Amino acid sequence: MLQHPHQLNALVHDGSATTAGTVEDPSPPGALSGRLIAIKDNIATRDSPTTAASNALTGYTSPFDATVVKLLRQHGATISAKTNLDEFGMGSHSQHSHFAPVLGPYIRNGVPLSPGGSSGGSAVAVATGQCWAALGTDTGGSVRLPAAFTGTVGFKPSYGVMSRWGVIQYANSMDTVGILARNVEDAGRVFRCLDAYDGQDPTSLSVSVRERAARRQPLARGLRIGVPIEYNIVGLAPAVRSAYTRTLGSLQDHGHSLHPVSLPTTRQALSAYYVLAPAEASSNLAKYDGTRYGFRTQGTDASPKSGLPLYARTRGEGFGEEVKRRILLGAYTLSSDAIDNYFIQAQKVRRLVQRDFDGVFTRLNPLLDSDVTMGAGVREEQGVDVLLTPTAPTLPPTVEEVKLQSSVESYMNDVFTVPASLAGLPVISVPVKLSGQGKEVVEEPDVQSVGMQLMGQFGDDQLVLQAAAILEQLDC
Amino acid sequence: MQSSTIRTAPSHFARALQCTSPGLIRCPRPCIVAKWLQSRNLTTATPAAQEAIPLRKHLKDEAKRKKADAKRDGNTASTKSGADPRLEKWELTVGIEIHAELNTACKLVSSAPAEVLETDNGGMANSRVAMFDAALPGTQPQFQVATLLPALRAAIAFGCEVQRKSGWDRKHYFHWDQPNGYQITQYYQPFAKDGCLVLDASDGVPALDMQGADRLRIGIKQIQMEQDTAKTTNVGSSTYHVDLNRAGVPLIEIITLPQIHSPQTAAAVVRKIQAVLKSVDSCVIGMELGGLRADVNVSVRERGTSGVGSSYSGVSGLGQRTEIKNLSSFKAVEDAIIAERDRQITVLEAGGVIEGETRGWTLGATETTRLRGKEGEVDYRYMPDADLPPLVIGQDLVKHLTSTLPTLPDQLQQDLQDEYNLSLKDAKTLIDLDNGDRLDFFLRTVHSVTAELSISSQAQIGKMVGNWVLHELGGLLTTHQRSWDDVRITADELRDILVCLHQKRITTRVAKQLLADLFQREPAPAARPCVEQLIETGNLRLRPLSEEEYRDLARRIMDESPEMVKAVREKGQKGKVMWFVGQMVRQGEEGTVEPEQARATIERLMGG
Repeated sequence: MLQHPHQLNALVHDGSATTAGTVEDPSPPGALSGRLIAIKDNIATRDSPTTAASNALTGYTSPFDATVVKLLRQHGATISAKTNLDEFGMGSHSQHSHFAPVLGPYIRNGVPLSPGGSSGGSAVAVATGQCWAALGTDTGGSVRLPAAFTGTVGFKPSYGVMSRWGVIQYANSMDTVGILARNVEDAGRVFRCLDAYDGQDPTSLSVSVRERAARRQPLARGLRIGVPIEYNIVGLAPAVRSAYTRTLGSLQDHGHSLHPVSLPTTRQALSAYYVLAPAEASSNLAKYDGTRYGFRTQGTDASPKSGLPLYARTRGEGFGEEVKRRILLGAYTLSSDAIDNYFIQAQKVRRLVQRDFDGVFTRLNPLLDSDVTMGAGVREEQGVDVLLTPTAPTLPPTVEEVKLQSSVESYMNDVFTVPASLAGLPVISVPVKLSGQGKEVVEEPDVQSVGMQLMGQFGDDQLVLQAAAILEQLDC
Repeated sequence: MQSSTIRTAPSHFARALQCTSPGLIRCPRPCIVAKWLQSRNLTTATPAAQEAIPLRKHLKDEAKRKKADAKRDGNTASTKSGADPRLEKWELTVGIEIHAELNTACKLVSSAPAEVLETDNGGMANSRVAMFDAALPGTQPQFQVATLLPALRAAIAFGCEVQRKSGWDRKHYFHWDQPNGYQITQYYQPFAKDGCLVLDASDGVPALDMQGADRLRIGIKQIQMEQDTAKTTNVGSSTYHVDLNRAGVPLIEIITLPQIHSPQTAAAVVRKIQAVLKSVDSCVIGMELGGLRADVNVSVRERGTSGVGSSYSGVSGLGQRTEIKNLSSFKAVEDAIIAERDRQITVLEAGGVIEGETRGWTLGATETTRLRGKEGEVDYRYMPDADLPPLVIGQDLVKHLTSTLPTLPDQLQQDLQDEYNLSLKDAKTLIDLDNGDRLDFFLRTVHSVTAELSISSQAQIGKMVGNWVLHELGGLLTTHQRSWDDVRITADELRDILVCLHQKRITTRVAKQLLADLFQREPAPAARPCVEQLIETGNLRLRPLSEEEYRDLARRIMDESPEMVKAVREKGQKGKVMWFVGQMVRQGEEGTVEPEQARATIERLMGG
C-alpha cells in the first residue's frame, strides 16, 4: 500500500472531516458516536451533492437524507465524505465514473490494482483509513467485490433489512445497502444501527418477518458449512483456490463441519442477473430526462430527428458508456418481441436460484409459508448453516488489465456474487491471508489477502456475522 | 458551467417548483414539441364544457332519429339500417377503454393530495407534489390503500370479479408529463375482471342493436388502477408549463369487450359508465370537465364473415381495428366512430386494406386523422414494479363494500318511476343532471312537501314536484343562463310554494311568478322574504270567483272575439278552448282565475 490515499480518487465530495479516527467536535452520543463514516455517492445526503458518479446528476443535491444516513447521524456518526463509484453502481472495478476511475490501494508491477466495484470508493476509503467505515450498495456484488479486492470486510444484509429510501435505484429488486469496515465487529456495529423497518421503503421487511427471524436460536454448536460444488470452476485462480482450500481446512480443524452441496442453477445465475439488472436499470434510469433536476444539454435539447423523444441528447450526454450499454440491453430484453425469451426466462431462473438455496440451508426461508417449495438444491439431511465460497474467482487485476477486458469478461467477476443477490440472501466478504506459499510470489505492495464469502439463509444476518467473526479469527 | 446544468432540488420541492419555474418552462423547440404532442394526441386544456350534450337533448335527438327511421322504414320498406345502404353490408365493431379519475383524497402511490384543498391557495400549480411524484432520485412509491375503495366500488357496480391478488406494472414512455419515465399501472394482473354493463333502449341504444331483446349486455373485460400524468399547458408558441399536481392521481381504466355495434350504443355505453361511476361515488368529475376520457377501437367486417380474422380482448373474427385516442365527450365518441367506420368502409369497398394504426379526432371534424402506424407504436416495455408488493384484496372488504354500495342508476330510476310516479324520461334526467344535485333537491322537496301536507305517498306529489324541479326551474336556468350551482332557491322555499299551490291557496300562474321572484333574489336571508310574506304583500292569494263571475268574464271575452268562437263552435277546433282559458287567466284579476274552472265555464258556454 504505497500510494497516498488521496491519489486514489476514492472520495468525490468531502464532508467536514477527512482524517480517520474520532473528531473533536462533540457529536451526539450513540453506538457510532464520533465515528467517521463515508457514504457511497448513490445514497442521498442533504448536505452534499448526490450524483451516483453520473454526469446526469451533476450538481444535484438531494432535499432529504436517505433513511440509512439519517440513522447513522442519529447514532452519533459523522458523515465524512461521499465516495466514488461506477456510475449508478454499474461496474465491477469502479472505473466507470464521471469523476474518473478509483484506484485500488495495491500495486502490481507498478500498476495500481482494481479496487473492485462498484463501491470501490467506499472500500478504498476504509482500507486507507480515510474513514472508520463506509456505506456502499450491493446489487450483484458491489460491496463484496471491492471488499475482497481491498482487504476489507463487506457485508450485504438480506434484501429489505436496511432501508433503500434515498438510495438511487439501479436494479431495485436487488439493490441492497451494504457496509464496508475494517473488521467484522465494526461492520456488525454499523449494521445493528441500520437494521430497522422503514415505512418509506415499500420493500422494507415487515416487523413480523423481522421478529420471526430474530426468534431463531443462536448457534450453540460448530458451524455446518456448505461447499457448493458448482463454485469450483475452471477459471478459479490458483492463489484463490489455495486460500479457499486452506480456509476450509482450517475451519474443519476448529470443529466446524464441511458439507458438499449442489446449487445446480448457479451456472445460469450470472446470465439471469445480466438480463434482470439491465432491464430494471432501463426502467429506473428513465427519470433522468433533465426536465426537473440534474444535467440538461445546452441549447434546445430536442433531438433534431423527428420521432425521437425530446430528451435524446440530454440522456445521450448525461450517461456514460457502460450505463448506456445496460439501458439499451434492458430496453431490448423488455421489448415485446424479446421479453418472453429474456426477462421472463431470467425471472424463472431467479426463482430456481432461490429454491436451490432454500434446498441446502437448515433453516427455512422466512418469506415462504411452508417448506413445500424445496428446490433442486441437493443437501444432506440436516442442511447447512452457511455456505462458504471465494468472493471472486481471481485476485484483483490491474487497472490496465481491466481496460483490456470486454464487458462480458468484466461481468465474469460477478459469477460468485450474483446468486446471493438474486435470492436476496445475507452475505459477507471477509479477507483471509494469501497462503504461505503465495507470500513468496506476491510482492509487498501487491494485495495480501483473498476475499471469502459467507452466505446465509434469508434473514440469517446475525448468523452470517457470527460465522464471519469465526472466519476472521482463524489463524491460517 | 452553465447555470442551467447545476440545479438542485431544494428541500421543499413543491414550492421550489414554483420558484424555479425556469427549470420547467423551457426553451424553444416548437416543431418537435408540436409534433410529439400531436403524435400522442395530447390535449392540454380542459375540454370546453359545451361538448357535453345534456341527456335530455340526447333523448330528444334519439326520439327524433327513431321517428325518422320508422318513417323511412314505412316508406321504403327496404332497410332497417338507416340512410347508408353500405351498413347493410358492413358491420361495425367497437371496444372502448375508459379512463376515469377516482374520487380520492390522495394520489395512487404518494401521500400528496389528489384534489385541491381549501387551504391550498386555490390549487396553485405544483403545490400537491410528493417527492416521488417529481421522480426525485432515491424516492419510492407507497401504495395508498384508501384509493382502492372507490376503485372497488366501481368494480362491484359493474359486477366484476375482484381478484384476490393483483400486481403493479410499469408502462414506459418518455414524456415530460411522466416524471418517472413510466406509468404505474396494472397490465399483467388487473384487480377486477369479467364484469358487464346492461343497457336498454332508454339508454339510447338503437332498436337494431337490441335485436328484439329488452336489454343489451356489454362485457367488461377488466378494470385496472393506474396513475394519471402531469398536466402540460402550452404557453405561447414555444413554452410549455408542466403542472405535476395531476401526476400520480389515481385513475381506473375500464376496458369493454368489442361487443358494441353502433356509434349510438358506444356513446350510450360511455354515458352509462359515467352514470354508474358517479352513482357509487367512484368518480365525481364528469367527461365534460375532463374527469373521463375514452379511447375507442373501431373495426368493420362484412356481415356474416369473420373479417380479416383479427381478434382482441378474446373476441375473434373481426376486421382490422384502428384506435382513436383521447375522446373527451359523448358526442366525440359517437362522431369519431361514425367517421372512422365510414372511412374504413370506403377503403374496403375500394379494395383497400385497413392498417392497424392510431388515429386522432378533433371536435367538429368529419374525418379521423392518422397519428401513427404500427411501426410508430411505442413499445411500452411493461415490467412488474418490484418496489410495490402485490395488491391483496380480501373477500371481507369486497362483501362490506357490496353491502354498503349506493343505489345504482338503473335501480334508482326504477325507484323514481315506481315510488315517485315519474316518467322514465324524467327519472333518467333527474339522475343525470348536475352530478346528482338536482335529484337530491327533488328528493328533499318531495319529502318536505309530503311531511307538510301529511300525505302518505310520495307518488301523489312526485310527478308535480318533478315537473317543477325539472321544467319550471330548468326553464329559469335556461332563461337566465345560470348553472345549477348558482341556484339560490331552497328546497324549503319550493316546498312552501308547492304546498300553497296544492292547497289551492294560489294559482299555478302565481306559483310560477313566486318561483321566478325567488330565483332572482340575492341569497342573503334579508333579501329573501318567506313565501307567505310574498303572497301577502303581493296580494296573490287565490280569491275564488263565483260561478257568475266566471261566466261574466268568459262572456266578455267571447264577445270580443267572435272569430275564435266561430272556430270552436262551427269548425270544431277544440284546441282553441285553451286560448280562451289563457285570456281569462290574463284578463282576470291576479290570483283569481283557476284554469280548470275557466275551462269548464268556456266549454259550457260554447256547448250552449
